[in-house]
Amino acid sequence: MVGAGALLTPGFFENGPVRAALGVSFCAAMLSAMVGVFTIIRGQSFAGHALADVSSAGGAGAFLFGVNPLFGFLGLAVLGAGVLEMVGVQRARERDLATGVFLGAGLGVTALLLYFDVTMRSTSGAAISVMFGSMFAIPPGMVKLSLGLGAGAMVVMAMIHRPLLLCAAAPELAGVQGVNVRLIGFLHLLMLALAVTLSAMTIGAILSTALLIGPAAAALRLARRPGRAIGLAVVIGVAACWGGVWLAYDSYNWSGGHGWPVSFFIVTIIFTIYLASGLRRDRTMRV
Amino acid sequence: MLKSIPAVAVFCLVSAPCPAAAAAAAAPVKAVGVETQYADVIAQIGGRYVTVSAIISDPNTDPHEFELNPKIAARLAGAQLVVENGLGYDDWAGRMLDAAPDAQRRVINVQRLLGLPDNTPNPHLWYDPLTMPRVADALAAILATMQPQHADDFRANAARFDASLGPWRAALAAIKSADPGVPVAVTEPVGDALLTAAGAEILTPFTLQAAIMNGTDPAPQDVAAQDLLLSGHKVRALVYNEQVTDPLTASFLALARANHIPVVGVYETMPAPGYDYQSWMLAETMALRAAVEHGQSTPPLGKAPG
Repeated sequence: MVGAGALLTPGFFENGPVRAALGVSFCAAMLSAMVGVFTIIRGQSFAGHALADVSSAGGAGAFLFGVNPLFGFLGLAVLGAGVLEMVGVQRARERDLATGVFLGAGLGVTALLLYFDVTMRSTSGAAISVMFGSMFAIPPGMVKLSLGLGAGAMVVMAMIHRPLLLCAAAPELAGVQGVNVRLIGFLHLLMLALAVTLSAMTIGAILSTALLIGPAAAALRLARRPGRAIGLAVVIGVAACWGGVWLAYDSYNWSGGHGWPVSFFIVTIIFTIYLASGLRRDRTMRV
Repeated sequence: MLKSIPAVAVFCLVSAPCPAAAAAAAAPVKAVGVETQYADVIAQIGGRYVTVSAIISDPNTDPHEFELNPKIAARLAGAQLVVENGLGYDDWAGRMLDAAPDAQRRVINVQRLLGLPDNTPNPHLWYDPLTMPRVADALAAILATMQPQHADDFRANAARFDASLGPWRAALAAIKSADPGVPVAVTEPVGDALLTAAGAEILTPFTLQAAIMNGTDPAPQDVAAQDLLLSGHKVRALVYNEQVTDPLTASFLALARANHIPVVGVYETMPAPGYDYQSWMLAETMALRAAVEHGQSTPPLGKAPG
């Protein structure tokens, strides 16, 4: 950490693509970390992954129809959230089965749409940018949109975080206290869809689970209270994203001018932090 | 494989009635040019003694990402003469041919014809004005062994083809003498050989061109460098691959337009209809000239202006 400023490669903050990447990944990391904590407590990690995979069909479709990829990802993620909520299977085993089948169907559609992208719309980079992200090629206008959506989602999260936590920890109690469990569940899935969309834009649909679950999982190992866990998850997520952006930027200097993919660095940082957090896993959380 | 063909020819010469060879001579050679530009040159050299088809002909498809289907596999397997580009551009064609071995089939791999190593970074060989004359000569020589009775026609066609590239060479030389070392930006390496032949200096980092060509995430330094080329008016044209577009290339296009830098469209495969290889290369070179000399953008080839 000492002399981090001096370590920064010259021109880092003046670089347009870097600024866009820092902005969009900040929104993605922050929202994903917040939603991720609730997602883990509710045991919906797999649903989060499924939503990300299903949303890739929207990303691929956006390339095909020439619309803003954010709306493509978001449309399919919200649709996916609706389907998952409608299925609403309560038993974990059946829920995983249904989610898995749904995920497969979504990726199948993605495969078809990516095929059309390449053969009809000459968007040769579509497959990599949908699946693994293309953070340094974020279209202009995306940053403000992401900031807006991220801010909106965080307001909603702040409003529903108490009933959400109650539903997650003790659904029966929440029902008794007059909380609309189903509505809160749907709002959570909606926020999940938004978080997944923003991270799909940054590190890609396939890898967005890492941003959703990784920082939250590490934070839940380290923090005793949910509030602290959320804060810590946000710090870890943003640090991983910004660290990844910096490492990818710096890699230009030692990779022969190619620059390694930023998604790799972000996911690796998250994984490292998760492993490190295991050293203190003896703690248990008090809700 | 190479040895068997002279052996058959010798056999036919010594035994006068040779019905199999006579029938083969009568039927046109079934030829495939993997990309339209190679098919076009085959047709120009072989004339009416060949039937040619191209595999990659849809100008909206990026040939790098082409996917094979069984119909195309059958067409390749049945071909007597194939021209493929090589350098990983159309590897699937070579794999397909290996899967359907035919000792009589003749294959021209343009990479190997030019003696280029596998790590040659830019696979768009046909943009080099030296490439196609050599392909034409190789075609004439091979067709002469397949149909010896028309050997003179093939050689004459190859000579005519070479001569018909004169206007293109003249246009390249005109840019080189009028604007030596004119600075240009590109999105992809597709037209780089043409630009080099015109004496232009390509200022876009090759790593960025390769990232866009290969569909990988570009380095932010390269994107910033390219943005600066356009916003700082450091280039006199943006050479834009019309067949590979994504949000990044679209942003370069918008930046070029905002800064009144003319845009020249280039293509991976020959835009059809209305073009042959020579007129296509000439049209792109004239478009480059209009851009660097008069600051004019060109509408996409084959489309009405405006």
